[in-house]
Amino acid sequence: MLEIITVGVAQIKNSSSPSVLRTILGSCVGICLYDRVKKIGGMAHILLPVNQKVGSSPEKYANTAIPMLVKMLLHEGAKIEYLSAKITGGASMFKIGSNISLGQIGIRNIEQTKQELQKLGIAILVEDVGGNQGRVIDFYLEDGRMKVKAGGQEKIYYKV
Amino acid sequence: MDQNIKQRIETIISNIDQLPPLPEVASRVINMVNDPDVSFKQVAQEISKNQAMTTNILKLCNSAYFSKGNEIISIDRAIVTLGLKEVKDIVLLVAAKPILDKPVIGYDLGQGDLWKQGLAVATMSRDIAMGKKRKDIADVVFTGGIIHNVGKVVIALFVQQAFKQIIDLVQTQSITFPQAEKEIMGYNHQEVGEKILEKWNFPPVLRSIVRYYQEPENAPEAHRLEVSIVHIANAICLMGGIGIGSDGLFHEINDRAIKKTGLTQADLEGLYARMPDLLKQIMDLQ
Repeated sequence: MLEIITVGVAQIKNSSSPSVLRTILGSCVGICLYDRVKKIGGMAHILLPVNQKVGSSPEKYANTAIPMLVKMLLHEGAKIEYLSAKITGGASMFKIGSNISLGQIGIRNIEQTKQELQKLGIAILVEDVGGNQGRVIDFYLEDGRMKVKAGGQEKIYYKV
Repeated sequence: MDQNIKQRIETIISNIDQLPPLPEVASRVINMVNDPDVSFKQVAQEISKNQAMTTNILKLCNSAYFSKGNEIISIDRAIVTLGLKEVKDIVLLVAAKPILDKPVIGYDLGQGDLWKQGLAVATMSRDIAMGKKRKDIADVVFTGGIIHNVGKVVIALFVQQAFKQIIDLVQTQSITFPQAEKEIMGYNHQEVGEKILEKWNFPPVLRSIVRYYQEPENAPEAHRLEVSIVHIANAICLMGGIGIGSDGLFHEINDRAIKKTGLTQADLEGLYARMPDLLKQIMDLQ
């Protein structure tokens, strides 16, 4: 049996092969990082793009959670040059008043996530983002593949 | 429209025995707290008749979520310490859990997902009411939040059958998932939910919440604030991925509901940002 580790809203978890990291996403973004050589990886489940206040729940925000996840993986022996990213989530409410800023949160989460990964020089191999569907994510640390279940359909991304 | 599915739903909702049953004590207590002639002694007696439930009710009274510090060992004590309305909410939690805690197949919700979403929406709805200095409706929107999507339990089987048609209609007609439910199956889960609440003999405001939480602008004016609050809490929880299923975010956040509650943009973002704390809070109710 594979060990399934649930990553909750605004949590960061890491583990090694053959664990599976699982999360459920709406407008949040899931960032899956994998070191293909060491076969270790981690997932951050961010709720919002930018942390306005320093020091308050860094796991919640793209700009603080992603560096935290990278640090965690490097500490476990990963090498930055072997890390690659798959990002998913960031869905939007189907119908939303044009002046409701919360409606843009999914899109803002995706943009910020991309910026942070670019800053750290980590390539994004897969983007399964946006739209209006919820997503259930399984990230297999055995080989870094990511399964995305959305609207009754499953997709598996193998690229690492 | 799938006439076969429509007829099968009609058969279920016109036959009271086919709708999920709620322990009678819950319906009685919900109506008793609205009756000014009922004493708290009478409510306590009514609850205490049901031994099995009393044990679970006391357990919840002493949970981190509800406890006020001192251990509560009787229903009398619970009402004095927590208040009648709070105890009513706890009775409903205990009574409704077995109905809402199951997997809901057609909506792709695992065991506990619908229940967790109800708890999250209930808690957020109550927070919104309290934030707007409307303590008087805090317990109503809490109860409404718990049961707002109870209709899904009954209709899920048909959603599973008709899913492809429903989701296609959502995409081609640009309508929300519940609107497409109605187009394809003749009924949506809110209408079925209303029938369930009729069976349970719940008061009108709770029926309005269940019936109109997806379209608050059509709720009776007298209940529109309560309905709007649950509408917003539901949408924000879904955005946070809580209870998100095969219907995804094919829903709506209604401008008029936001106006009705007087919530600002910053309030909405604040509610969304506080989600992790809210999830911790509801952990011991799951």
